[in-house]
Amino acid sequence: MERIAEWLHEKNPGLDGPIGPDEDLIEARLIDSMDFLEFVDLLEELSGRSIDLQEVTIDDFRTLARVRERFLSAAG
Amino acid sequence: MSTPGTTVLPDGGLRSPGPGLITLDPDHTALLRGLDELLAGLAVRLSAPEVVGPPLLSVDGLARLDFFRNFPHLGVSAGRFEPEALDGLAAGEAPAGLPLRPTGYLLPSATCYGLLLSLEGRDVGAEGLRLSATGRCFRNETRFDGLRRLWGFHMREVLHLGTKQGALEHLEQGAEFVRELAGRLGLDLTRAVADDPFYDRGGSRARLMALDPVKHEFSAPDGTAIASVNRHRNFFGERLGIRAGSEGPAYSACVAFGVERWVHAMVLAHGTPARALDRLREAGA
Repeated sequence: MERIAEWLHEKNPGLDGPIGPDEDLIEARLIDSMDFLEFVDLLEELSGRSIDLQEVTIDDFRTLARVRERFLSAAG
Repeated sequence: MSTPGTTVLPDGGLRSPGPGLITLDPDHTALLRGLDELLAGLAVRLSAPEVVGPPLLSVDGLARLDFFRNFPHLGVSAGRFEPEALDGLAAGEAPAGLPLRPTGYLLPSATCYGLLLSLEGRDVGAEGLRLSATGRCFRNETRFDGLRRLWGFHMREVLHLGTKQGALEHLEQGAEFVRELAGRLGLDLTRAVADDPFYDRGGSRARLMALDPVKHEFSAPDGTAIASVNRHRNFFGERLGIRAGSEGPAYSACVAFGVERWVHAMVLAHGTPARALDRLREAGA
C-alpha cells in the first residue's frame, strides 16, 4: 500500500497528509482520469496479476481499503 | 400607408450553403426560438442568470482544460489570411487554398467552456453559482445529417459550480426538468449512459468514463440525443483555480440542450413543422 500512497502523492503534489482508507479517490480526482490506466498498471505490477477492465467496477478503485481488498489481498 | 404582407419564400426555399450548414426557414426558426425559450425555463427555475458567452475561445485556455488531448478532431479554428494573400484576394483570386494563419482562437465546441474560462481564479462561494447561456457551437464531424448533426448549432446550457452535493442536486433538477418538458411537448425520451466523442477511445479518460459514467443523455425514438446531464467532478475548478468558499476547488456540472436537435425531435414526434409549432404553442401557454 505504501507504493500506492507514494504514487497518489506524486500525482497530487498539493495533497497534505496521509490519505484515509475510506477517502473517495475517484470523486476527489486523486486518481485523475488521464492517469487511470497508469494506476491500473501499478496495481497489476504490485499484485502480479492482470486486471480485466470488463470485470471490475469503479467502486473497486474508489478507496484505498477497497483497492487493498480487491487487488492486493491474497484472496482478491 | 400600407402594411407589407407576409413574405413568401421563393420556390425551392432557402439554399444550404454547404455540408452541415443550414439556413433555418421561418417555421424551423420559430421552433428553435420557442424551444430555446422553454429550455431557458430551467435557468429561471434554478435562478441561473442569463449571460452571453464569448464567440471565440483561446487555444491556451482550452489546452488547460485538456480539450486538445480529448477532442483534437473537433476544433474549428478561426484563421485569417496571410498578409501575402491579401493582394491576390483583393485582385479577385479564388480564396480556396490560400494560406491561413492561426489566430490562437477556436470557435466554441460547447457553451460551458467560455463560461468556465470566464470564472478563472474566482470564488463562487459555498452556495455556488449558476449561469445559463445559449451559444452557437461548432464541431468538425466526419459526416453531417440534417438537423441531427450540423457543423454549427445552438447549445443551451445551465452550468453549476459549487460543492459536490450542489453539483449532484443540479443534475437531478436538470433531469427532472427534461422529463417534465418532454411530457408537455409530447416527446418520448429515453435516458441512457453516454460517452463523449473522445479521439482516443481506448485512452485513460475514455476507459475511466466507461467504468464511471459522468454523462447521461436523453434521446428521441430515432436515437438522436437532445439533452445531456454532465458532471465534471472538480476538474474545471482545479484546472482554473475556481474555488467554492472553504470547500476548495469547485465541483461543476451542466445540463446541455442541442436546440436544433429539439427542433428535429419535435418534427419527428408531430409530423410537420406546423404541427410541431402548434404543440409548442400549447406547451408554452
